[in-house]
Amino acid sequence: MKKIINLHWRAAALKNGFMDAVAYRAEFFIDIIGSALVPASIQLILWYAVFYIGQAHSFGGMSFIELINYTIISVLFSQIRGGNQDFELQEMIRTGNLSQHLLKPIGVVEFVYIRGVAPKLVIASVCICIGVVLSIWLPITIPRIFGAIFLALLGNIIHYQVGAILSTFSFLWEEAYSVLMVKNLIVSILSGELLPLNLFPASMSWAWKTTPFYLYVFGPTQFALGKWSVAQYFHSLGVGAIWIAILWVGIRISWHLGIRRYQSLGG
Amino acid sequence: MRGVMRLLIKPSYKTTEALKNVSFQIERGNFIGLIGANGAGKTTLLKILSGLIPPTSGNAKVMSFVPFERSIDFRKKISLVMGQKAQLWWDLSALDAFDLLRAIYEIPYPSYKKRLNELTELLNVNQLLKTQIRKLSLGERMKMELIGALIHWPEVIFLDEPTIGLDILAAHNLRSFLKKFNQNHKATIILTSHNMEDIEELCPRILILKTGELIYDGSPNTLTKKGEIRLKLLLLQYPTPEELAKTTELPITQIEVEQESPEPRHIIFHIKKELIIAVLQKLMRYYQVIDMSIEEQSLETVIQQIYEKNN
Repeated sequence: MKKIINLHWRAAALKNGFMDAVAYRAEFFIDIIGSALVPASIQLILWYAVFYIGQAHSFGGMSFIELINYTIISVLFSQIRGGNQDFELQEMIRTGNLSQHLLKPIGVVEFVYIRGVAPKLVIASVCICIGVVLSIWLPITIPRIFGAIFLALLGNIIHYQVGAILSTFSFLWEEAYSVLMVKNLIVSILSGELLPLNLFPASMSWAWKTTPFYLYVFGPTQFALGKWSVAQYFHSLGVGAIWIAILWVGIRISWHLGIRRYQSLGG
Repeated sequence: MRGVMRLLIKPSYKTTEALKNVSFQIERGNFIGLIGANGAGKTTLLKILSGLIPPTSGNAKVMSFVPFERSIDFRKKISLVMGQKAQLWWDLSALDAFDLLRAIYEIPYPSYKKRLNELTELLNVNQLLKTQIRKLSLGERMKMELIGALIHWPEVIFLDEPTIGLDILAAHNLRSFLKKFNQNHKATIILTSHNMEDIEELCPRILILKTGELIYDGSPNTLTKKGEIRLKLLLLQYPTPEELAKTTELPITQIEVEQESPEPRHIIFHIKKELIIAVLQKLMRYYQVIDMSIEEQSLETVIQQIYEKNN
C-alpha cells in the first residue's frame, strides 16, 4: 500500500531543525530572553506612564492589573509566533540555494517550515510549564493554557504560510526582504504583541479582525486570561483552519507560478 | 544621476540564448565530460537535465522522465552536486545531515550503514563524520557533500565542478573515488569541470559547448589525436615546407613552419610516434638539426585552441 504521508522524514527534519537551532545554546537562550524581555519592558513602562504619571484609572477599558497580566501572558505566545523561515525561503530563491532542496523528494515549503518550527515546539512546551506556574498567581487555568498554546501554534502555521506566499516575490524581483520586513512590522501591531488589540478604536477594529494575525498573540492571551468564552475560542479555531486552507491554496498557486521563473542563479 | 533614475524607474533587461540546438543521447553507466568556456552553457544544460529549470524550447528526457516535472521517482534517482553550493548544514555534523537524508530517501538502516561505510572509506573521512561542517577544510567539505549526494545510490549524477578549489591530492582522491563509484554502481555521471585532468582521467566521452552550441561530441582521444606527437626542430638551413615534404615524404599538411619570429624558425611535424626516427634520418641527410623537442598534444591545449578560435 502506498504511504499517503511520510512521517519519517518529517520527524527527522524536526530533529535536525532543533539541533541546528541549539547548535549555539547561549545564542538560542539569549535570543528567546531578549525577544521576550524587550517588548514586555516597553509595555510595562508604558502602562506605568499611563496609570501613575498620567493618573488614569483605566486604559481602553482595562485596569492597570489587567494590562500587566496581558503583558506577562502575551510574552508566552509571542515566543511561539512564527520564526524567520520565510526569510530563509526568500534567501534560498534569491541565491539559488533552493536548487539543493528542489531536487530532493520532499516539498521544499513544508521542509523549511518543519525545520524552523522545531525550536518553537520546544519553546511552546516551556511556555506551558511557565503558564502552569503562573496559574498560581494569575487568573489563568491549566486547560486554558493548553488551549491557548494550541491556538498560538495554529497562528505559527498561518504566519509561515503568509511568509511563504510573500517570499515568492523573490521569483519576480529576486529580493523580497523588504516585503517580509513590512509584513513582520504589520504583524507585530495587528497580532497584539505590542499592544492589546482592544486598545484599537472601535472604528478601526476591522483592521485586525480582517487579518488572521490576532490569532498569534491576542487571541491566545484573551483565551488564557478568561476574556474569551469557549465558544469564541472554537470560533477562532475555525477561522484559523479556514485561513490555513486558503493560504495552503495560495502557496500552491504562488509557488507553481513562481518556480517557472526560477533561474537557479549562483553557478 | 539620470542613469540611476532610469534604472530605478525603467530597468533594462537583456535576453541571452544560453543553449542552441543542443542534441545528444547518453547510455546508462556512461561517464560524460561537459566542457566549455565560462558562459558556454554547461551549468544551464545541467540545470535543465536535473529539472531545475525548463527548456524554453525543445525537450529533455532523463531515464524516460521529463526532468522539469520533477516527479518524486525522478528525484529519488538523481543527484546534483554543485561545487559552489552546499547542501549540508554549516553548524551540524555531516552525520546529522546524512541521518536526515536517510529519512528523506527512505533508505533502510542496514543499507544506509553499509553505504556510509563504503563511501567514507573510499573518501577516507570516517573520523570526520561527527565534526561540525564549518570546521572542515574545503576538500573535506566537498567529500562530505559528495557522500550526501550519493548516499541514496542515484542512477544519474550531475557534477558541476566538483574539484573546484581542491588541492592536487584532494582532487586526485576525488577523481579516483568517482571512477570507482561509476564502475561499481553503473551510475551515469555527467561532469563539468575546467580542470582537464578531471576530464581526461574520467570521461571516455566529452561534449564541448561553445556559446551555447554543441561543437564536439566524442572521445577526448580523437580530439587530441592520441598517438600523434609534435616533432619540433630547429634547423641550420631554411627549407620551405614543400622541400621538407619532398625530403620526408610526408603530406605538406603535416608540416608547419612557425611564422611568429623570422629567425630562428621552428619546424613542426605532426606525425605518429613510430615515424620519429624515419623522419629524422631523412631530414639529417640534407639538413643540420640544431635543436629538437617532442611534444604530445594535451586535451588542455586542444580545448585552449578551441576557446581561442571562438574569441
